[in-house]
Amino acid sequence: MSNKVAIIASNGGLFDAYKVFNIATAAAASEKEVAIFFTFEGLNLIHKQGMYALPMPAGAEHYAEGFAKANVPAISQLVEMAQELGVKFIACQMTMDVMGLTTEDFIDGIEVGGAVTFLEFAKDAAPSLTF
Amino acid sequence: MSIKVDFQLDAKGFSCPMPIVKTKKMMAELVDGQILEVLATDKGSKADLTAWAETVGHQYIGTVEEENVLKHYIRKCSNDMLDEKTFEHTIELEQVTKREGLILDAREEVEFAFGHIEGAKSIPMGELEARLSELDKEQEIYVICRTGKRSDLAAQRLSAHGFARVYNVLPGMTSWKGTLIKNI
Repeated sequence: MSNKVAIIASNGGLFDAYKVFNIATAAAASEKEVAIFFTFEGLNLIHKQGMYALPMPAGAEHYAEGFAKANVPAISQLVEMAQELGVKFIACQMTMDVMGLTTEDFIDGIEVGGAVTFLEFAKDAAPSLTF
Repeated sequence: MSIKVDFQLDAKGFSCPMPIVKTKKMMAELVDGQILEVLATDKGSKADLTAWAETVGHQYIGTVEEENVLKHYIRKCSNDMLDEKTFEHTIELEQVTKREGLILDAREEVEFAFGHIEGAKSIPMGELEARLSELDKEQEIYVICRTGKRSDLAAQRLSAHGFARVYNVLPGMTSWKGTLIKNI
């Protein structure tokens, strides 16, 4: 059985962020080795400012109340927890170049790499997930 | 229900994946064999903790619900626990209910509460030496636990204290197919 979970985060909304970080922290808490590859809009999820202003899908704004009521942790808390549990964050170099971003724009403790960096990690991971 | 546990974790009010993440962190404080009680209001935590324990190799004992709070019980296990059974006098599980002696359950109180053989007496392994006076040296004693490992140790200790008619029950409660008595 593979002890690795590989996740691609390619969307930048609040719902996407929860899907990515909930699965990642749960997997890490289950003693899996976890890496997330952040690409295109997915980079929002680890952007220093962007991660605090992730948009709800259009028409879903009313869920904000539900999030508060269910006491769902903030994305910043989940990110911190994921890092504490050893989840590896890989930011996509190509997307950063396209968007004119540098490592300074992102939270601390991330790696920057290309598709092959992620593929190397993911080659023997099960499951591999895309959000 | 008030039951003896070694550690308690309050994860009430937290949603997935927090109960799991907090449990994982708390587990690092426990030594093998200790019991953690996790309090949670997340309805999904029962299925999640059961699966989590299975994945990482701890023993999920059970869950009770009281006033909308789920109380989960988990016993810490590690993969490198040696599985040596050395006590020479053993008895098969099917035989114990057919004989007259005492079934002595050496598991933790909470494991006993979630299911034991009718008539069995509970003395957790760690309390055995302090509670020897509750046992009769003339009686046959069949010591049982979950897999036969703790009962093996308990049987050795009883024997060292002069109990001559002691048997380790093999296999343990994991193979018991009969009625389970619960005190929960």
